Amino acid sequence: MSNKVLLIIPAYNEELSLIKTMQSITETKYDYIIINDGSTDKTPDIINEQHYNHINLINNLGIGGAVQTGYKYAYENDYDIAIQVDADGQHDISYLQDLIQPILGQKADLVIGSCFVSKDPKNQRSSKIRRLGIRFLSATFKLFSGKRIYDPTSGFRAANRRVIERFANNYPLEYPEPISNYELLRSNDFKIKEVPVKMNKRTAGKSSIHSWKSIYAAINVFLSIIIISLGRKKHD
Amino acid sequence: MTNLQIEMAIASILLLIIIIISLKKNTISIKNSIAWLLLPVFFLLIAIFPEPLTTLSSWLGFETLSNFIFLIAIALLIMLCFFHTITISRQQNQITKLIQEMSILKQKENKNGKTK
Repeated sequence: MSNKVLLIIPAYNEELSLIKTMQSITETKYDYIIINDGSTDKTPDIINEQHYNHINLINNLGIGGAVQTGYKYAYENDYDIAIQVDADGQHDISYLQDLIQPILGQKADLVIGSCFVSKDPKNQRSSKIRRLGIRFLSATFKLFSGKRIYDPTSGFRAANRRVIERFANNYPLEYPEPISNYELLRSNDFKIKEVPVKMNKRTAGKSSIHSWKSIYAAINVFLSIIIISLGRKKHD
Repeated sequence: MTNLQIEMAIASILLLIIIIISLKKNTISIKNSIAWLLLPVFFLLIAIFPEPLTTLSSWLGFETLSNFIFLIAIALLIMLCFFHTITISRQQNQITKLIQEMSILKQKENKNGKTK
């Protein structure tokens, strides 16, 4: 039985990088779906001109709501594996097989593409402050759950059918990657595996994490970890 | 009746009238009006019969009755605000779900339209 694989590509104002990212994605021959999160630039025009498979959100939802739409689509269309890929070209498509393999071998339910598993400093990305924040977050995960995820904020993830179903019904709206990773970690119901990947430098655009918002982000994620640890009820 | 009692009674009645007009115009739902109706009724009762509250106030150690009334009013407002936050959070989830399902449906429709 062949496994159906879907690439979920959330896009918000990615006019500068979308075509380039999509070139490498269409080469892979995997199914994909672009979730256009109410972009206000030329992103929707590019999508229409190039006839990319896409969903236009009728209103901006933010990254969490957009990615969840992708998981809902994956669930409804019976995909076995869903992989999140950023539209800005940060995620190196050549690592897709590395993400899929542990799921095919039933070694993991969720595979996180992480640039911190390998100790090679060349493979590490982003600023010192960000790396420090991720280190701290990783330590917090370990403290509250006893398990280590080296790169809890990575948005380059592959999910099997069980995780797709879970995410389709339950997905955090803000800072979805660390929070949903932690939720799966705590539930003890899912196997999470990290594989080393290299991240590309952003070809264009800005990260959605701005410096002045990082304090709010830290509080939000930290509070989420505490509340989830206390046993948070899920939405119906 | 003291001046304060009369002022409070008038204010309560005014609020009551505003709420009833809003209910008649159907701008607020019956369900959401109950908390707002209880508020002026409660304050009207205090305005007419302040004695039990005066006793309670001095027993709890408040220097003046007005301080006690302020505290009650603020506490009620905080409660109301909190319930609103609960409602907003729930509605945010509902709206997110709606946008997602609606957008997926539209995509399906577009695709079917093209293949026909």
